[in-house]
Amino acid sequence: MPSLSTELLVIGAGATGLGIAWDACLRGIKVVVVDQSNIAQGTSGRYHGLLHSGGRYAVTDPISAQECASENSILRRIIPHAIEDTGGLYLALRTDPADYAHEWQRACQEIGIDVEPQSLDQVLRREPALTKSISQAFQVNAASLDSFDLLNSLSHSIRKTGGQVLLHHRVNEFIIEDNTVVAAELVSELDQTTMQIGAEIFINAAGPWSDQVAALAGVKIPITHSKGTMIAMANRLTHTVIHRCRPPSSGDAIVPAGSVMIIGTTDIPVSSANDLPIKPSEIDFLLDQGEELIPGFSNRRPLRAWSGIRPLYNPLHDDMNSTRGISRSHVLINHAETDGISGLASIFGGKLTTFRLMAQRVADFVAQELQIDDQCCTDTVPIEPEEKEFIILSNRTTRLLPSENNARDSVICECENVRRSEIEAYIQSSDHFELDNLRCTTRLGMGPCQSAFCSVRATGIAFSSYETEDLLIDLTSFIDRRWRGTSLLAWGQSMRQIVFSRRLYLELLGIQQVSGDKS
Amino acid sequence: MTDILIIGAGLSGLFASILAAKRNADVTLVSAGHGGLSISHGCIDVWSKATSSLSLSRLKKNHPYRIAGKRALNIAMEAFEDIMHDASYPFSGSLSKQLFIPTAIGSLHCTAYAPISLAHSQMTKGTPIAIASIAGLRDCFPEMLVKNLRSNGYLVERSISLSLPGSEPYRDLYSTDLAYRFEDSAYRDQIAQLWKPRLSGIHCLGIPAILGLRQPNQVYQSIQVLLGIELFEIPTPPPSLPGLRLEQVLFSTAAHFGVNIILGSSAIGRIDRSRKLKRVSGITLQTPSNSRQLKAQKVILATGGFLHGGLIAHRDGSIQESVFNLPIDYPENRKALLAPSLFDKQPYEMHGVRVNSRMQPLDLKGEPVYENLFSAGGIIAGADRQSEGSRQGIDLATAQRAVEAALE
Repeated sequence: MPSLSTELLVIGAGATGLGIAWDACLRGIKVVVVDQSNIAQGTSGRYHGLLHSGGRYAVTDPISAQECASENSILRRIIPHAIEDTGGLYLALRTDPADYAHEWQRACQEIGIDVEPQSLDQVLRREPALTKSISQAFQVNAASLDSFDLLNSLSHSIRKTGGQVLLHHRVNEFIIEDNTVVAAELVSELDQTTMQIGAEIFINAAGPWSDQVAALAGVKIPITHSKGTMIAMANRLTHTVIHRCRPPSSGDAIVPAGSVMIIGTTDIPVSSANDLPIKPSEIDFLLDQGEELIPGFSNRRPLRAWSGIRPLYNPLHDDMNSTRGISRSHVLINHAETDGISGLASIFGGKLTTFRLMAQRVADFVAQELQIDDQCCTDTVPIEPEEKEFIILSNRTTRLLPSENNARDSVICECENVRRSEIEAYIQSSDHFELDNLRCTTRLGMGPCQSAFCSVRATGIAFSSYETEDLLIDLTSFIDRRWRGTSLLAWGQSMRQIVFSRRLYLELLGIQQVSGDKS
Repeated sequence: MTDILIIGAGLSGLFASILAAKRNADVTLVSAGHGGLSISHGCIDVWSKATSSLSLSRLKKNHPYRIAGKRALNIAMEAFEDIMHDASYPFSGSLSKQLFIPTAIGSLHCTAYAPISLAHSQMTKGTPIAIASIAGLRDCFPEMLVKNLRSNGYLVERSISLSLPGSEPYRDLYSTDLAYRFEDSAYRDQIAQLWKPRLSGIHCLGIPAILGLRQPNQVYQSIQVLLGIELFEIPTPPPSLPGLRLEQVLFSTAAHFGVNIILGSSAIGRIDRSRKLKRVSGITLQTPSNSRQLKAQKVILATGGFLHGGLIAHRDGSIQESVFNLPIDYPENRKALLAPSLFDKQPYEMHGVRVNSRMQPLDLKGEPVYENLFSAGGIIAGADRQSEGSRQGIDLATAQRAVEAALE
């Protein structure tokens, strides 16, 4: 069995795992990150894209609120290319409890969150689509954060700094000697080969799967899974993040992201990381909530619904109907202290906005264990994107025109303006082709047609570089997953898109389901 | 006042308009947008199940084939072949045999009738062929096409990339761009000069479907003669020419037989309440600038299913028929309209208006809703057209029955 050894092995290539690895790299620690599938395939990639101002937790969870507020300004400094500075508005509607807005404003001031009261006139001039029944409005510095961009940049920075990111490898077993984890046995999800990685410290950052990873070492962690459902709506009706100024509840945020806007989220306790199916009632609820903020919202075209699983820290294992009351703050469990198993710690809870802080605390712990004195510097070192060209529609459009320096390029995904050269660059830089990873890297297939045309085009391009059956398996499973995400929204124009895509795939192109190990 | 008003300019609406006009009826055809043919594969699928041949008696009682009957299907197919023959766009095929036409990705599309430039691929199975890609043509996937064609039993010896005369285009070319160019005989001569030296040793060549839109067969035959080899066409993803050609041929035939065609105007059904029998009196035609009434003796509804606007699914789970608000069955929970996977059989395929043997839409008790309203094509309930591979066959057979009944 091939093996390698490192100082730190991080399990999970989400924001937390990559954040920890990045922090460790900067301190000169030798690090490997492994993930069972790909970057941003768990909770980080299934997120609404909100860079919190902190306001949301000001009343109920001041510590989280404070962390969000300070991380907000740090992230704006270190990863500006993944952030669209939309600003945010907190709106109390006439139907909302009248005294909450005051309590909220006071709480924000105490924590030090910038809140600026706005008149109805100001708000409507800025965002004319909003409802007129606003009783109070406040401006905060929320923003839209593209987690795919963030995670890809993190992974790129880690690799550049000497760290290793090993994808499609699932931890199968921990090798434990004298109550100390000394190595992990990994199985490749692609070809089922196994390998061993020895390390001094193992960090379980597997998010909603972290209970399963901990179980491999025979330890239990107090985690509750909470499902959050989101809907992406075609077009942006506002260019500002819109929050509802009321106690945190479902469907109270609308985030403009790329060419769409996302409403989220619900909060439903579920039993495991894979418990993702969405109920029609969740969709209806979110659309109705959107309607209260933006009249006509629910008649607009929804593009796609998806859900992510929050791994929440719940030591009491409360049996609740909602997990809304559980703190969003994060927890680091050193299994040497809790279970007598050394060399392993688990990190979970928290939120994407505070991923850097979580990573810092874990890396502090790792540095202490390894007796390394270097201090954290992730709050000042920028996270560089792989390509210095930011993914902004207008930038992409300019690149389409031939110029003295550029040969003619063609658009492969019209909705998101993804060019052929971007796909070719992806093919060159990756050892195997995966449409879903291409989507996360370039936004291909994320727009209104949900990859009806570009999935096939991209596969066609990949065929010129790879000689493999797997491309068709990948295509069928990708279009099936994209289609499933739209199939919950089977009415109006979405229904026509659903029927059209299916007819294109099955009747015009004759795509058949190819069975493979992956599907 | 028109004798027959047909709503919808897809395959069934256009075909019905020609049948009725050929029988000297005064026919008006209205359509809100482009009909469904613009995104169709341009072939006639009648029954593409590999496991069983079409036997009407084995179908469920409410299946459109069973309701229209074998006779209507046979007559419709003959009439269709005649129309295509007269328009110099002949189809090859029969009701008793299946054709397998290569798709853009190299899968095989099982169909009953195909235009000859596509159907010619059948002749080449077992003989060595070459596959051409066109430089600058969008949606041309030669490697994927060749690999899949080979695994489907085609002897693809080589694949060649052919360039076009003139300077490099400023943007990707669509198949429609090239189709117009190929209609010019001088352009075809240039092509022949450019391509012929590259084709030595090739006996038969498959190329993307780009050979003309308005006189397709003429272009196809002429380029074969010029190049001195056999050609067959492989459809591209939309805009795909075989569908557009069929649409164009049917439109010009309808115009030739005097059908009054009104495009770009949506229809709102009008009910005649003055008589005891429930009848429709025509439609209100909504054009971008005004609306006017269009009276008709008989109306044939050929507005299609969910994709083409005949049926509208609402968020509350209800399904609405878009012109006359006809009664449609729908499941209690909107989730039941779709099965989870793209590749599953989809319940929504089965929904639509229920009809009797005269193609009259029925109410929930099974009585005709309006005695002078008929329907044809995708709006009719009771068939999973996708998994049966029966879409165009149902369009033609039900259009045939609807016209017969309307002219009785």
